[in-house]
Amino acid sequence: MTLWYSGVLLLSTLVIGILCFDELSERRERSVKANKGMEEILVIVLWIGLPAVVLSIGGGWWLMRKALAPVATLTEAMRGVSDRNLNQELPRTHNGDELDQLTEVLNAMTARLNASFTRIKDFTLHASHELKTPLTVLCGETETELRDESLNPSDRERIASRLDELRRMALIVNGLTLLAKADAGLITLTLAPVRLDELVRDSFGDIQILAEASALSVTLLNCDRTTVKADAHRLRQLLLNLADNAVKYNQPGGTIQIGLASADPAAELTISNTGPGIAANLLPRIFERFFRGDPAHNGSVEGCGLGLSIAQWIVAAHKGSISIKSVPNQLTTVTVRLPVLESQPA
Amino acid sequence: MRVLVIEDEKKTASFIRKALQAEGYAVDVCHDGDEGFVAPSATPYDAIVLDIMLPGRDGLSILRRWRQGHNRIPVLLLSARGDVIERVEGLDAGADDYLPKPFALVELAARVRALTRRGGDTKATVLRLADLSLDTITRRVRRGESDIELTAREYRLLEYLMQSTGRLCGRMMILEKVWDYDFDPGTNLVDVYIRRLRGKIDTAFEPKLLHTVRGIGYVLKQPPA
Repeated sequence: MTLWYSGVLLLSTLVIGILCFDELSERRERSVKANKGMEEILVIVLWIGLPAVVLSIGGGWWLMRKALAPVATLTEAMRGVSDRNLNQELPRTHNGDELDQLTEVLNAMTARLNASFTRIKDFTLHASHELKTPLTVLCGETETELRDESLNPSDRERIASRLDELRRMALIVNGLTLLAKADAGLITLTLAPVRLDELVRDSFGDIQILAEASALSVTLLNCDRTTVKADAHRLRQLLLNLADNAVKYNQPGGTIQIGLASADPAAELTISNTGPGIAANLLPRIFERFFRGDPAHNGSVEGCGLGLSIAQWIVAAHKGSISIKSVPNQLTTVTVRLPVLESQPA
Repeated sequence: MRVLVIEDEKKTASFIRKALQAEGYAVDVCHDGDEGFVAPSATPYDAIVLDIMLPGRDGLSILRRWRQGHNRIPVLLLSARGDVIERVEGLDAGADDYLPKPFALVELAARVRALTRRGGDTKATVLRLADLSLDTITRRVRRGESDIELTAREYRLLEYLMQSTGRLCGRMMILEKVWDYDFDPGTNLVDVYIRRLRGKIDTAFEPKLLHTVRGIGYVLKQPPA
């Protein structure tokens, strides 16, 4: 292909050169006779030189564009490659030129990446599945032990606390299974019109109760009537998840503010809480699995460390977006945007 | 009441049997699908606990064949996969309930109980325990001579506990019945509500009715005299 383009360029330059030389020498002969050398040269330059320049710039631009177009297409296609579409190949021309070879190499690379990603996902899925059988046995046997009425109180406490840890492990394994399945595209949501404002009000009640123990004050700023197309169970999970974080990572006597503002095309749900917050450099990693934003909580955190990853998956599965802003020791705000079906301000 | 447990994992089958026996059921266990498939034709069962992954025939195809043969015995499906699709698939195949592994025994027992008393439920409109009463029509709750004000959620929690009087209620079952959650949120929501409810119906009264069984769940009952 490169040969073709350079051939065309060379040929056209030659043609222009020959024509110019021809014209130039002819005119020159005539002008020498008429003794109007300078004027003639000017005319020649104006009538032949300028169009030639314009033509070569235009032609060159056109040729370069044509030559580079496949590169631009390839760049655009590569830009679209992410961990979600590694199984898609870039389109090839199969004409065997350099760009086609490059595309082939890139396709082979994404295929290798895809294979490794799939292996990791499969591993997580199988690992969490395999862990469930021994966990079921351990939980079941421990619970059976605990049901023995002749146990003395200290043994009972010991076994019960072991069961607590087993249940926490089960929660982590369940969270991992959920995410691994979501990665593999194995989860289908049951979508139906859902009144988001009712879910928010419902959770607001629960949050108030959860917050009571740490003397937090919870306010519902606004709650516009909003209908979204969603899986109600997953939205409840999302709300409780975010609320639980707002309570857990708060400070004694702190506040939580919840708002649901509806607008076309997206409803905006915000949950803000006081507390230590997350340092700016850690913020981008906050949705990562098992990432703990606040080292101070490391030792005492309940829950499974997958809450925000699960929240992020739920929002993405509903074609929405989630983001966090945080000013350490002041306010941390989670914003969720979900596409709405209908809305009207309350 | 006789229950059949079809579960290939021997330890799991064994503690399921113990838990159900403790509830007063007679329990038979099969460890593979082919054996389990024919068992109900020899013995009449009141309920069947069926694992999905089995050697021989798998749980779902066993269930479909039973239902095609008009066998209507209540079935509780157990599964280690535990996703939404499988839940729907299981219920479509004719299961009456579904429980993902790992589960709490108290949840399993509650579900089997619900299956075996289906239809025979008492339809009393006023639930009573000692001097505590709950009117399901007027939604009025009284303990002794005092009226008790409950929020909607607290009311539903108490109603569920009173419907299960004397029986252990696990956290998951409570979340499902009272909150309509199909997931374990991993919060102490239930414990916090139980504490509030206890403050309203128990703290100022004797005898105490709402009891916590550490590690297992809650039970509403009159203490043995």
